[in-house]
Amino acid sequence: MADKHLDLPQGTLDLLILKTLALEPQHGWAISDRIEQISKDVLCIKQGSLYPALHRIERRGWIKAKWGTSGNNRRAKYYELTKSGRKQLQDEESAWRKLAAAVGQVLETAQG
Amino acid sequence: MVSDLLHRVRALFRRNSMEAELEEELRAHLEHEVEKNVRAGMSRDEAERRAKLKFGGLEQVKEECRDSWGVRFITDLVQDLRYGLRQLRRNPGFTVVAVLSLALGIGANTAIFSLFYTVLLHQLPVAHPEQLVEFLYKDPGRPRSDGYRGWDEYENIRDHNHVFSALTGMTFDNLARVSIEGSEPETLILENVLGNYFQVLGLKPALGRLTTPEDVPASGDAGVVVVSWYYWNRWFHRDPAILGKRIDVNGNPEVIVGVAPRAYTGPRVGDRTDVWEPYQKDAVRMLARLKPGVTLRQAEAEVNVLYQSWVDQNDGAHKNPKLRQRKVEVEPAGAGLARVRDLYGKSLVVLMGVVGLLLLLACINMASMLLARSAGRQREMAVRVGLGASRGRLARQMLTESVLLSGAGTLVGLLLAYFGTGVLVRIMASAQPHQHVEIQVKPDLNLLLFTAGIAVLTGLLFGLAPAWYAFRCAPASALRQTGAAGDTWFWRWFGRGLVAAQVALSIFLVTGAVVFLDHLAKLRNFDLGFRSDHVLLVTIDPAGSGYQREQLAAPYQQLLARLQAIPGVRSASISGCTPIQGCGSGARYLMAEGHVETPEQRQRPAISFVSPGYFETLGIPLLAGRDFSLADVGRARVAIVSAAVARHFFPGENPFGRRITIVHDPEPFPFGDDRPYEIIGLAGDVKPFELHEPPYPVIYFNMFQENHLFDQFELRTSSDPAAMAGTVRRVVGEVLKTAPVTRVKTLSEQVDSDIVPERLIATLSEFFGVLGAALAGIGLYGLLAYSVARRTNEIGIRMALGATPGHISRLVLGEAMGMVCAGFAVGACMVSWGRPLAASLVEDLKPESSGPLALAGGAIAAVALLASYVPARRATRVDPMVALRHE
Repeated sequence: MADKHLDLPQGTLDLLILKTLALEPQHGWAISDRIEQISKDVLCIKQGSLYPALHRIERRGWIKAKWGTSGNNRRAKYYELTKSGRKQLQDEESAWRKLAAAVGQVLETAQG
Repeated sequence: MVSDLLHRVRALFRRNSMEAELEEELRAHLEHEVEKNVRAGMSRDEAERRAKLKFGGLEQVKEECRDSWGVRFITDLVQDLRYGLRQLRRNPGFTVVAVLSLALGIGANTAIFSLFYTVLLHQLPVAHPEQLVEFLYKDPGRPRSDGYRGWDEYENIRDHNHVFSALTGMTFDNLARVSIEGSEPETLILENVLGNYFQVLGLKPALGRLTTPEDVPASGDAGVVVVSWYYWNRWFHRDPAILGKRIDVNGNPEVIVGVAPRAYTGPRVGDRTDVWEPYQKDAVRMLARLKPGVTLRQAEAEVNVLYQSWVDQNDGAHKNPKLRQRKVEVEPAGAGLARVRDLYGKSLVVLMGVVGLLLLLACINMASMLLARSAGRQREMAVRVGLGASRGRLARQMLTESVLLSGAGTLVGLLLAYFGTGVLVRIMASAQPHQHVEIQVKPDLNLLLFTAGIAVLTGLLFGLAPAWYAFRCAPASALRQTGAAGDTWFWRWFGRGLVAAQVALSIFLVTGAVVFLDHLAKLRNFDLGFRSDHVLLVTIDPAGSGYQREQLAAPYQQLLARLQAIPGVRSASISGCTPIQGCGSGARYLMAEGHVETPEQRQRPAISFVSPGYFETLGIPLLAGRDFSLADVGRARVAIVSAAVARHFFPGENPFGRRITIVHDPEPFPFGDDRPYEIIGLAGDVKPFELHEPPYPVIYFNMFQENHLFDQFELRTSSDPAAMAGTVRRVVGEVLKTAPVTRVKTLSEQVDSDIVPERLIATLSEFFGVLGAALAGIGLYGLLAYSVARRTNEIGIRMALGATPGHISRLVLGEAMGMVCAGFAVGACMVSWGRPLAASLVEDLKPESSGPLALAGGAIAAVALLASYVPARRATRVDPMVALRHE
């Protein structure tokens, strides 16, 4: 199992959470489920580690939380992107793309 | 940022709801996951198992979430504090001793510093206090004086200087009689100020206006006054209606035009001005403002030049040589006029030093006790490390505990300081009238900062060693080791070093106390020239008695006879002045038959009119000749001179029968004429003015022969003089119904009032010395008790091998004495270093002998023996069988 999964680089989890929440407000379990589905089970996140990240991001003011009712009629804490969170997502996304491109290029060149 | 802060605040104060939400959130997650698994076809149990597996450690996640709330530091602190409080509650004996010793240390520092601050540091609430200076006049061989200067001297400096941007001045009337709107007159402090006074100081009124140069007409009497905020508050409860009210000041009707700002109570520390009245062209105490960039030395040089030119103008004939020897000192006055600083400054420096050392001692004491305790907490530490606490966290825990102790100590200390300051101020207020100070210590931000700083500093200082110990000596392996784990060579010697340091400090403090007490006793008894014990001073006021002063001889002789007849009174006398209180001398000088001298050599003795029996009553030795008697009346005029007078005029000769004349300079002697007096007696030297000054020449006349009568009665009693006061009042009332007794005081009280700084130092250093010795004793006891407990095993083995109780107690006492000897050696070095320092700060102190050090050493050795008695006894009672099974 461990072979198939990749560990997340530092700080990437925040980006994934923000991206997931960009579509619509979600509760914790839904976020982890979504990330798992989209990443096709390649990224392995211990579901628990999602929550400290959520709480940290919430403290920074990028997302805000309110209690709501989930699909199966259960009380759940929904997180929603704030204005500054949207800005942060843009920044992080472009930073990530630049980094990935640069690293990719170095790898390509080094191989060649 | 703001939302971040709000979030953290919520995490701190709505902790419970945050916890509940976290719990619910995580549970909801698991339920969602379980549901998903069940939908995927798993059994309920299997679904739950998988969900938990996928989630990870629930408690760990919670802990990480709490971390990300950003209040970990504070919640840890709260936890440490709770834990620390529990620890302190568990050892109430230790806690009480620790808090008390810290409270005494911190309280003493706060009390002394508050005086120090008020007297020496606190700046007047005026504009640019750092520019203000005053002038002090120094004659060779005398303390500098803040005396008044003539108006021409003021004008000379005002009109010719280049160093001051402004010059103003004032005079003080400490006994002004003030009544407002026909009230009973009360005695207040009046400050007569020059017109520009308030402008130069840059003060703004609290109400109305302050006086200006326009208020002082050429005629002199302004008719307007400014009163203090306190006066306004007391009489008018801050009603603005005070403006325009009539006020009677020393019999002059005035109008109140303004109220001074609350913070400003005059330029003197320790005396509050209540009324300011403008004046001009009279004697003045000058206050100047330095121009920017001008230094004190430059100003001083210029003022001295101006002063000398003034002397040349006024004393061209060189009649008064003293004028030319006088130097003017320019002193900063931003913290108030120098008088109180001169009186108490050095004493307060000494006391700050003493209390600082005491606090250091208390800190070391705490450090050694905490260290011994944390050595005993080895296993607890090891368990905590084993459960995942970091060493840093342990060190922090120890520091938290010590800061907790110092915080508690500070709270109690503040209480002690509050009362302590009251006691100090009362001692200072017992000074002679002309040195009287009434110091009001007000709570002040700087004071609070000082105390808080001290509290934290002490907590860190004594907590550092135990914290370091916890950091270094808390290996997980301690669990496997015996109770002595981590008790390395280094730490054993470190602990002993701390105790030795306590011994050294307390040796220093006790030696200081002995030196100061000895000094005080000498001042009180040996150097006076008279015996201050068992003398009652009684002043009566014959003004309303119906007698003219010249008619008082007969009733006063009768009263003397009646007073002498009181049982318990050995002798009684009358005099114009008493020692220390001061006698007139002034511009009179003596001329002796056959003695030739230049004007510079003239002696100006104090002149004292006394009744027969004065020397016996005050215990002034009559070295030769006879006392005055009533039989002298109507015969040739006689005088008794003090040894200093005889030395001056008749060195090595017999003064009896020699004639001496009083010359009043420049006017004729107001009483009698210049007929000579025949010397009939030689009295021992006394100090008529001040204990600190060398004996001053005195010439005594028989007040009945001169019929120059005074109202100061003295009684020498065989029992407590103060207890005779009632009888004396009754007898005076019987003989002279119309002359009330205005003052009853013992001579010792009068002497004490002149040595207030010395009393302050001696009393406090005695108290602090005893305290220091006690602390050292506690420290020694703590270390020995711990050491015996630690060595129970070893002692058991020694006893099993045949050691007697004598051997064992010698073992413990040897350890104690080793520390005491080391401490004594260091303490002796400190004493030899501190000696010249103390001598430079305390007048007339001559601490050459090694007696005080020996005494202190003996006292500390006794304390050490006492402190080691219990541990030594416990060591001898060790049962070898029990001790060996101990581990």
